[in-house]
Amino acid sequence: MNLFAGFRTEPKVVITHEDIDRAHDRARVQAARSRRSWVSQLRLLWLLVGPGILVMLGENDGPSMLSYAATGAKFGIGFFLPFIVLTFAMAIVVQEMTVRLGTVTQRGHAELIFERFGPFWGWFSMIDLGLGNFLTLITEFIAIRAGLGFFGVPPWEAVLAALALLYTALMTHRYWTWERITLAIAAFNLVFVPVALLSHPDWHAIRSSLGNWKPIPVMDKDTVLILLADIGATVTPWMLFFQQSATVDKGMTKRDVSFGRMDTILGAALAATAAVATVIATAPLFTHHMSAENFQAAEFAQALQPLIGKFGAALFALGIVEAGMVACVTISISSAYAFGEVAARPHSLNLPVQQGKAFYAMVFFLAALAALIVLIPGLPLVYVVLIVNVIAVLAMPPALVFLFLLVNDRELMGDVVSPRWANALTAGVVVFLTAAGVLFGISVIAPHLFAVIGGK
Amino acid sequence: MTREPKAQNSVGLSEEELVLATLEPDQLAEAKKQHVPRRRLKGAELGVLWFLRIYLLFMIAVVIYQAWSGAH
Repeated sequence: MNLFAGFRTEPKVVITHEDIDRAHDRARVQAARSRRSWVSQLRLLWLLVGPGILVMLGENDGPSMLSYAATGAKFGIGFFLPFIVLTFAMAIVVQEMTVRLGTVTQRGHAELIFERFGPFWGWFSMIDLGLGNFLTLITEFIAIRAGLGFFGVPPWEAVLAALALLYTALMTHRYWTWERITLAIAAFNLVFVPVALLSHPDWHAIRSSLGNWKPIPVMDKDTVLILLADIGATVTPWMLFFQQSATVDKGMTKRDVSFGRMDTILGAALAATAAVATVIATAPLFTHHMSAENFQAAEFAQALQPLIGKFGAALFALGIVEAGMVACVTISISSAYAFGEVAARPHSLNLPVQQGKAFYAMVFFLAALAALIVLIPGLPLVYVVLIVNVIAVLAMPPALVFLFLLVNDRELMGDVVSPRWANALTAGVVVFLTAAGVLFGISVIAPHLFAVIGGK
Repeated sequence: MTREPKAQNSVGLSEEELVLATLEPDQLAEAKKQHVPRRRLKGAELGVLWFLRIYLLFMIAVVIYQAWSGAH
């Protein structure tokens, strides 16, 4: 970043534990890059993937998978299959910018907003992120609790197990190890693919809907809510903050941007596959006219059991647990990164506990608080899940404008500012998300006007 | 070029060499403490940010209203 060019001439260099861990990771990257064979290139890809896959599979979280399940159960296979693929294309456009921003500036997203635009806008951005992340974290524990509930695990045992897993992943004190553990858990998101296959999908209908987007659903309040929930299941503010911070923490540089792009595209492809599979898996509920109103994970699994068997239903419930677990890890870390960046505290998964007390405490405190809330008896859990994705969509346009301003800041980005086509796509995403939010608002507060513009 | 004494985790010489050989100067934890210069937002940028801020507050009120009406 040319803004810090002066630092390069600074005679005093302080090296920390965090630097040493990162240097070991970079040494392996350099070694793989120095060889030309395709095996080395594959190894290089293996070493550099991570933040993109994690952010995409992390966003296939509890509420997202429940939104996809509700989509399949309510609308079957049709308009929503290609629509979900489109939302992942949007996610690639947005997330690629965070890779560039992170590698060029070597700063987290929160830090850049705060320092470049000042604390006034910085705090707005932090409040959006903090509130959205905390509500989402609650829904991840709801998903874990509901998914494990299918196997008869009591709620408190379910949340304790989740907290124990989060703690185990964090206590490696090493970004690389944490990333690989979380990636291994995230791979289970693809468990929805065999569930979809067990539902004996109509391949002709799937091909046809991906091509012609039909049948198009009746545009009523429920459809708008599901539309928004499905968008919120793919593009949310925490993803921007997480991927940029993780890219920096991993030690990626400008030379790695192309691999960062591949990582993001690969993650989107995997996540889109799992999302589409979930819609396909629950489509038989639509075909058999089974009402899926107010379903949680366990109810979906139970309703699917007569159609896909006990094994399929168990896989579905496990998939929901995995979705909640991975997002619980990534979202709490996204909040901790942002907190560390804003509070100017050390913030890296390479930090030993002694040096990263505030960072690790923040991750664990947020997760534990969310877990406690989920255990409150009588809490309207289903409603919280639905609303969280809607709030994520509403908070996205302001977050995207900050991203847009930063990635077009020539002082920061030098020659890697966004090209015009990328700016046009980003502007399109902002307009689309804002319009979707406005449509939702009209459907809630002015249903008559909603009818006038074609809704029911 | 100096190295901070023992306080920074007993950094050995080979590790220091490794760090300097593999990390770019901007990647060092210490370098990240340097502040990014402030940039003044222009009129149109401020307009868009304020519009979206008001939009978000209004829409959150809509969500709260929907939650309230749903609960009743």
